[in-house]
Amino acid sequence: MNRLTNPLGTSVGKKLMMAVTGLGFCCFLTIHLAGNLTIYGGKDFFNSYVEHLHSLGPLVTLAELGLLVFAAIHIMTGALLFYQSLKARPIRYSVNKRAGGRTLGSATMPYTGFILLLFVIFHLINFHFVDKTNITTFQLLSNAFANPVYIFIYTVAVIIAAIHVSHGLWSAFQTLGANHPKYTPFLRGLSIVFSVVVGIGFGFIPVYVFLLL
Amino acid sequence: MQLDAKIPSGPLAEKWDKHRFELKLVNPANKRKYTIIVVGTGLAGGSAAASLGELGYYVKNFCIQDSPRRAHSIAAQGGINAAKNYQNDGDSIWRLFYDTIKGGDFRAREANVYRLAQVSNNIIDHCVAQGIPFAREYGGLLANRSFGGAQVSRTFYARGQTGQQLLLGAYSSLMRQVAAGQVSMFPRREMLDIVVINGQARGIVVRNLITGEIENHAADAVVLCTGGYANVFYLSTNAMASNVSATFRAYKKGAFFANPCYTQIHPTCIPVHGTYQSKLTLMSESLRNDGRVWVPKTPGDRRPPNQIPESERDYYLEEKYPSFGNLVPRDVASRNAKTQCDMGKGVEETGFAVYLDFADAIKRDGKDVIQQKYGNLFQMYEKITASNPYETPMMIYPASHYVMGGLWVDYNLMSNLDGLFVMGEANFSDHGANRLGASALMQGLADGYFVIPYTIGGYLAGTDRPEITTDHPAFKEATRYVTERTRKLLSINGKRTVDDIHRQLGHILWEYCGMSRNDDGLLKARKLIQELREEFWKNAMVPGSSEDFNQSLERAGRVADFLEFAELLVIDAFERKESCGGHFNEAYQTEEHEARRDDENFCHVSAWEFKGDDNDPELHKEPLVFENVELTQRSYK
Amino acid sequence: MTKSINITLKVWRQKGPHVKSGFETYPATDISTDMSFLEMIDVVNEQLTLDGKDPIAFDHDCREGICGMCGAVINGRSHGPEKGTTLCQFHMRHFSNGDTIVIEPWRAKAFPIIKDLVVDRSAFDQIILAGGYISVNTGGAPDANSIPIAQEIAELAMDAAACIGCGACVAACPNASAMLFTSAKISQLALLPQGRLEAANRALAMVRKMDELCFGNCSNERECEAECPKEISISNIARLNREFIKAGLVSSVK
Repeated sequence: MNRLTNPLGTSVGKKLMMAVTGLGFCCFLTIHLAGNLTIYGGKDFFNSYVEHLHSLGPLVTLAELGLLVFAAIHIMTGALLFYQSLKARPIRYSVNKRAGGRTLGSATMPYTGFILLLFVIFHLINFHFVDKTNITTFQLLSNAFANPVYIFIYTVAVIIAAIHVSHGLWSAFQTLGANHPKYTPFLRGLSIVFSVVVGIGFGFIPVYVFLLL
Repeated sequence: MQLDAKIPSGPLAEKWDKHRFELKLVNPANKRKYTIIVVGTGLAGGSAAASLGELGYYVKNFCIQDSPRRAHSIAAQGGINAAKNYQNDGDSIWRLFYDTIKGGDFRAREANVYRLAQVSNNIIDHCVAQGIPFAREYGGLLANRSFGGAQVSRTFYARGQTGQQLLLGAYSSLMRQVAAGQVSMFPRREMLDIVVINGQARGIVVRNLITGEIENHAADAVVLCTGGYANVFYLSTNAMASNVSATFRAYKKGAFFANPCYTQIHPTCIPVHGTYQSKLTLMSESLRNDGRVWVPKTPGDRRPPNQIPESERDYYLEEKYPSFGNLVPRDVASRNAKTQCDMGKGVEETGFAVYLDFADAIKRDGKDVIQQKYGNLFQMYEKITASNPYETPMMIYPASHYVMGGLWVDYNLMSNLDGLFVMGEANFSDHGANRLGASALMQGLADGYFVIPYTIGGYLAGTDRPEITTDHPAFKEATRYVTERTRKLLSINGKRTVDDIHRQLGHILWEYCGMSRNDDGLLKARKLIQELREEFWKNAMVPGSSEDFNQSLERAGRVADFLEFAELLVIDAFERKESCGGHFNEAYQTEEHEARRDDENFCHVSAWEFKGDDNDPELHKEPLVFENVELTQRSYK
Repeated sequence: MTKSINITLKVWRQKGPHVKSGFETYPATDISTDMSFLEMIDVVNEQLTLDGKDPIAFDHDCREGICGMCGAVINGRSHGPEKGTTLCQFHMRHFSNGDTIVIEPWRAKAFPIIKDLVVDRSAFDQIILAGGYISVNTGGAPDANSIPIAQEIAELAMDAAACIGCGACVAACPNASAMLFTSAKISQLALLPQGRLEAANRALAMVRKMDELCFGNCSNERECEAECPKEISISNIARLNREFIKAGLVSSVK
């Protein structure tokens, strides 16, 4: 076991775990978004998608468990990396300037990550851990997004998620060693496009639901 | 005292083989019992420390920088020669040997130079095995270029950073030995004295540059690889910390200093701008492959270069030397630039610069080709001068660059002091009176990788040395001397900074003992140096204390040595009544203003012995015997 | 054209490793714009010396951008704001009359301060010592042309080998990570056939040593690449990651 855990315990190993789990979340976001887009097909179409999803039963539980494990790894490793990096420069510079490498996304990863964690908990409380026996998921949505505060919270959270993945997606590939003069520019572009899609895709749903009311 | 170079007998090509066989060997099991001190981590020192460590000796390696990777060998740009004949253009060991001897104006030892040419091939093999990314052809084989006037392509290179790559190769081997426990590294240490016991070099005294502590280190042999003294000119292409102190300390302890007047002035450097200037930057000589050197025909013509029509430009090198043109050896190119500027034809605000023009090359080959060849150099030039060489001609002027003189050594690279080996630029070397381009890297690595591992074994196995420790009175005495000198430096408390005095010393030498020299000037220089030395010890200002990190104190010690050494340089120049290579005495020139040697009276190495602070040094001559080459007048017409 | 400017320096002064320290302000008058940054400090130091004050300690040697000895953070930028330039090659013509310049040392736990702007970078030697070499002894090498190496590969190796070990990557990294430095050496040797044999051991050993020395973690901020005076690319970091994956998760090397 040591022969495997030792490499994973190094800085590069930890980054690899961040990359793999991060990519996992990107996949999840894609699927989640694809599912959510059914809302534009109308209330019934959306509810039937939800029903179909829930009919998968144990598969959903398995996926949820997987996400939970991924989240645990991503959060704990991320926190450790952040802490170690803080310690690596005990005295900070009095003048800080960027040389052109840093982006909004890369500079804020630990902070956007932390906010996303809070948001995910909030999100789960609202839509996952609720009694859904007498209410359709669509109604749940309508009730929530009738409140402008909810819309605000969700919009902000989605923007933060977009910022997080704008660096995260590309960065994960770099960490996994996928850097190539022919494809890296494409990956960097993809990262931006993905973040925009995530931002607009998810971000517009609460507004759409609100407008439907 | 008769100097014995210990050159092996027999035919030239067999001397080294024969000698290697005759050298005594140290039993492998005994090697670990021997401690060897290596001072310096450049190409010579780094390679020596690594190779000796590989053999099983215990090595203590010292350097003044914070890491062995920063020694000034790192700045060599152009390349390294080897007689591989990969280009099938007629090169051979013999030709490399002959070119080097001739380029040195027949003032080097045949046997040493031949050995250098022989091992040059092994160096390339070893460096490739170390992972040095030399330039390659599309087919994957090593690329070569012709360099510094050689008529064959024998120069191996790694872009314009060959010195860096070779040094990092030696450094990596060195680090491997440090990891193996064979070498102990002592960075940020400056050697301040050498300890001689029973006529044998047995240790050194160093200052820890961080704490100021004086440390003693004992060993079975001491190897000095401390580079050259070109900074005696204040402005040179050498690194700021390059100094003469280590070799000069050894000289004062009895080692002979050979040919100090052989200094090389490199023709293609960025000209001086102002008094604040701290160093000069070399532009690789390879630029002369495509650049054309010119000045305006009319003295005092201050028009911008693009307004001077072709007919009013003087391409003086091409006119004077039709066959070599802009590619004449360094000393010839440098002197001609000085002559033009002395005639008032120099350009730049100061009048001390000539043009190096790429307009024709760009027209002929296109900007892309020129950019590919020299892009990094053009960029560096633009960074420093803020002018774009693709559009306006570069301005260049000669600068002090390398020294051929150094401590006298025999064929084993051992000085006249037993157990004191000297390698690389620090010894008086295999370059005679002038070094060819791409030969310094070759010599440093030859000495370190392929000569010292054999010859030091011969010394260690063939001599008796008493057991000593650093408790020996000789260490105490050296430590006392060093401490006292430091105290003296710190207590001068005058009004002039050390840099200021150094700058003045540089002016004196550049003026009277630079590219061309004459007897009157040399006499005057000697007097001025003596006065300046007196001024230094009365009026220098060295702040701080000896017990911490004190860069002013470091510099002061070095400049104090330069002030003494400069006089030796001038004495040697005065004594050599001929012109050869880097030493040009105006009284000895051909009708075409070329150096005129006097082989009858000066075909020897001048080795100087220290005779006390108040006495002149004593000259010893090692005759140079040429059995295989015919001494000819160098001609590049 | 040559002109003179007057500027104000705010310099980090620190007498020793754990001594009370802070910024001091010095005027620098009549500074020629043709001076390099270090020559400007020389001039200030001359004046400090004559005034009986302790001159500013700073590391420097070759002053032509290759030894890697110099370096400081100038107004928040390692080696100053010019791209691909060491401090010694950075000229005063990039400043204007009246500017204030803040000069700080490299700041990282792995680079403790020795004095003023001088830091201890021996951690870099430690990383190389862990495996940044090819294990060949002098003497036994085959002919240099016996293994052809594609020009493209040799050039890539050279791109990585150009590293001067100055430490600007660590200084510029928001996390004080040494990944660019470490990856440059791992890349150079991994690309060449001579270095492949030990590639797995090297990748693991050098990364472990880097961690041990308390450098921070790479988070692909790309500041290192942007500040590197030799413009070494982070594609080398990706190569390090590949080498590390192969070594740690695929090879049987410990």
